[in-house]
Amino acid sequence: MKSEGCRTLSTQHPGPGSVSVPQYETVDPYTLTEDDLKIVNHNIRQELLMNTNSEELQRISTYYFDGQGKSIRPMIVLLMARALNYHMNGKSGLSQSQLSMAMVSEMIHTASLVHDDVIDSSDFRRGKPSINAIWSQKKVAMAGDFIIAVVSKILANMKNCDVTSTIAQALSDLVQGEFMQLGAKETENERFAHYLTKTYRKTASLMANSLKSSALLAGADDQLCDVAFQYGRNIGLAFQLVDDLLDFISSSETMGKPTATDLKLGLATAPVLFACEKFPVLNPMIMRRFQEPGDVEKAFELVHKSQGLEQTRFLAKKHCDEAIRLANTIADSPYQKALIVVSDFVITRMK
Amino acid sequence: MASTPAFRLFCLGRQYSRSYEPISWLCAVRNNGVYSQERKISSVAPAKHNQRPDWNRAVSEAEKIVGYPTSFLSLRWLLSDEIANVALHLRKLVGSNHPLLKTAKSLIYNGRNNMQAWGLIVLLISKAAGHCKVDDIEEDKAAGVLYSQRALAEVTEMIRTSHLVHKGLVNIYPNDYDSAELSDMSFGNKIALLSGDYLLTTSCIELAALRNNEVIDLIASAVRDQALSEFVGNRDKQNNPLPGNSEMSSAEEDWTRRNVLSAGSLLGNACEGTLHLAGHSKIVQEKGHKFGKHLALAWQACLELEPFTNLHYTPNSTFNLTSAPVMFHLERDPSLYTEINKGADSIYDVDYAKVHSWRRPDSPCQHHPCHGATLIKTTSTLLSSTWLNPPSRKEAGAMCT
Repeated sequence: MKSEGCRTLSTQHPGPGSVSVPQYETVDPYTLTEDDLKIVNHNIRQELLMNTNSEELQRISTYYFDGQGKSIRPMIVLLMARALNYHMNGKSGLSQSQLSMAMVSEMIHTASLVHDDVIDSSDFRRGKPSINAIWSQKKVAMAGDFIIAVVSKILANMKNCDVTSTIAQALSDLVQGEFMQLGAKETENERFAHYLTKTYRKTASLMANSLKSSALLAGADDQLCDVAFQYGRNIGLAFQLVDDLLDFISSSETMGKPTATDLKLGLATAPVLFACEKFPVLNPMIMRRFQEPGDVEKAFELVHKSQGLEQTRFLAKKHCDEAIRLANTIADSPYQKALIVVSDFVITRMK
Repeated sequence: MASTPAFRLFCLGRQYSRSYEPISWLCAVRNNGVYSQERKISSVAPAKHNQRPDWNRAVSEAEKIVGYPTSFLSLRWLLSDEIANVALHLRKLVGSNHPLLKTAKSLIYNGRNNMQAWGLIVLLISKAAGHCKVDDIEEDKAAGVLYSQRALAEVTEMIRTSHLVHKGLVNIYPNDYDSAELSDMSFGNKIALLSGDYLLTTSCIELAALRNNEVIDLIASAVRDQALSEFVGNRDKQNNPLPGNSEMSSAEEDWTRRNVLSAGSLLGNACEGTLHLAGHSKIVQEKGHKFGKHLALAWQACLELEPFTNLHYTPNSTFNLTSAPVMFHLERDPSLYTEINKGADSIYDVDYAKVHSWRRPDSPCQHHPCHGATLIKTTSTLLSSTWLNPPSRKEAGAMCT
C-alpha cells in the first residue's frame, strides 16, 4: 500500500520541485557552507567538552554532533549571514558572532532531539542507536539541560541583548509547541489553526528567529531582519509540511523512520486535516487520537483517497514560493542564490 | 491528599497554604510523609514543634521585610496556560506510582521548608545591599528592590524547581513494569520533562528581558552546574548518588563539590547577579557570591544532620547516603562501605538502620556538627562584614542559624 500510494502520487504530479532547479545548478548550498559547517561542528564539540569534566556527560552531550546530521539550520544561518553581509557591505565575510549563531541554532535543535529521545521509544535516530537506548532517562534529560546551559553561555558572550531575546523566544516556542502537541481537543474549525501554530512553534520558530538573529548581527535594519525572519518561517513551515507529507508516502529507507509514524503517535497532521473535509468520518478518529484498533490503517487509506496529500503539497509549495520571493529581495550573490536553492530542495524532497 | 485536584495543587495550593497556621500545618504535612524531592531520602520521624519554629518565624519575618509573600514569587508562571494544561494531565497520574505527583506536592505543600526560600534570600540580599541606581522607575518602592532583582529572584526559584522536576524523572528498564504501569511511567516522564523545560525556557525569556549579559552568564553557569551534579560519583539505577568513586581526596572536598554543583552555584550566582543588577562593585558582588554559596552549603549540612541528631529515628527510614555525616564517617571507617555497596542497584537495598547505628557518642560523625557550625559561622561572618542594612541582615542571619 505504501509503495502504491507513492507511485500514484508521483505519476499524478510530475513534481513541482523540478521547476526552478536548472537555473541555479551551479550553486550548491552544501559546498558553499562546507568549510563553515566543519568549523561550526568542531566548535560545538569544543564548547561542550570545555564545560564539563565528566566523561559520561561529554559523551552524551556530543553524541549527536558527529557531523552526520543534515545541519540544515546552521547552513541557512550561514547562508543568510553571508548573503546579508554582502547585501549591506558588498563583502560576504562572516563575523565570529554569526558563526556562533550557527552553532546556537544547531545546538538548540539537537537539545530538542535529545529531550525527544527521553520520551521516544524508538531505538534508532539518524541511523545509529538513539541516545535513550544507551543512557538512562535522567541522564539524558540532564544532558539536554546541559546543552541549553552552554547555549545560554554562548549567547551571553555574544553580548547582543536583542539576539538573546530573539533566541529565548525560539526556545520558549519549542516547548510551547510540545505542549500544544499534547493536544487539547479543539473544535474542527480551530484544528487547522492549532496545527499551523504548533508547526510554527516546533519547527519554524527556531529557523525564523535564528535567521533574524543572524541579520541582527549583520547590523540589518528592521525591514531586512523581517525578510530574514519570514524567509526562515516559510522555509520552516514548508519543511515540516513536507515531513508530514512524506510520513504518508515514503518508505522507511528514505525517511530513516517508518511511515505513518505520526498517526501511530496519535497526531493529526496536515494531510489528515485536509482529508477530513472529504471524509468527516476521520473526525472521531482524530478526537480519540487513532487509538482504536484499525484507526491508523483506515486513516492512512482515507488520506490517500482524498486530496489531502495534494493540498499539503500545494501549501508547502506556497510557502517555498514565498521564501524564494523574499530571498530575491536580497542583493545577488552566490549565497543569496543558495538560499533559493535551499527552498527548491524542500520541494524536491516531495517528489 | 492524593485526590486533591491537580489544578488546585498546582495553581492555588500556594495561596491556600497561606491561610493555615504555618507550624502546625507544616507538621501535619510532615506527619503524612510528604517530603520534598531532596528530603525523600532523608525522611526521619516528624520533627517536634519546638525544633523548627525558628525557621518559619525567620521566613515570615523575612517576607515582611521584603514586603512580598514568597508564595507569590512564582504565581506568575503558575497561572499560565501551559501549567494549567500540565495540571490537567497530572490528574491522569493520580493513583500511579510516578514520583512527579510527589514532586508537585512537595513544591506546594512543603514549599516553606526549602524551596521558596531561595528567591526570598535573593530578595533579602538585594534589600540588605541596597542599590546604586538613581532611576526611580526601576525600583519597586514597596519592597525596596529593583524590578529586575525581583525577576531574578523568580528565575532562581524557577531554575531550582526545573532541576528538581527533571531529577524526578524515572529511569525505565525493560521488564520493570507491566504495560499499564509502563504507559503511566512514560506519560509521567513526558509531563515532568516538559514542565521542567517550560520552567527553564520561561527563565530564559525572563533573563533575556533583563538585558544583562553578565547575569545571564551567571545563571547559565548555575544551570550547567546543576546538570553536572547528576554525573558526580557512583549512582544506582535510578541515578541516586552513592558515596565513593570520587577523584576528590577528602570527604569534605567531595561533599563540597557535590553540593556546590547542585545548590551552592545557583544561590551563589543568583546573589552575585542581584548585586550586579544593583550596580555594586565587583568586590561586593564577590562577597554576595560567597554568601549565597556558603548559605546553601550550610543549609544542606543542617538538613543532612537532622536524621542523626533527631532522637526519634524511625526504623528503616532512609537518608541520603552522600550526606555529610555518612561521608565523613566513611572517610574514617571505610568498613561501612560493605553495607553501602549493597545499594549499587538501588539505594533502598541498603540497611539504613545499620548505617544509622554507627551514630555513637564516640563515632566520627560527631565530627560533623563542628563542620556544620564552621560553615554557618563563615556565612554569618561574611554577612556581618558586608552590609549595613540592619533588619535585612538580621533576618538573613537568622535564616542561617
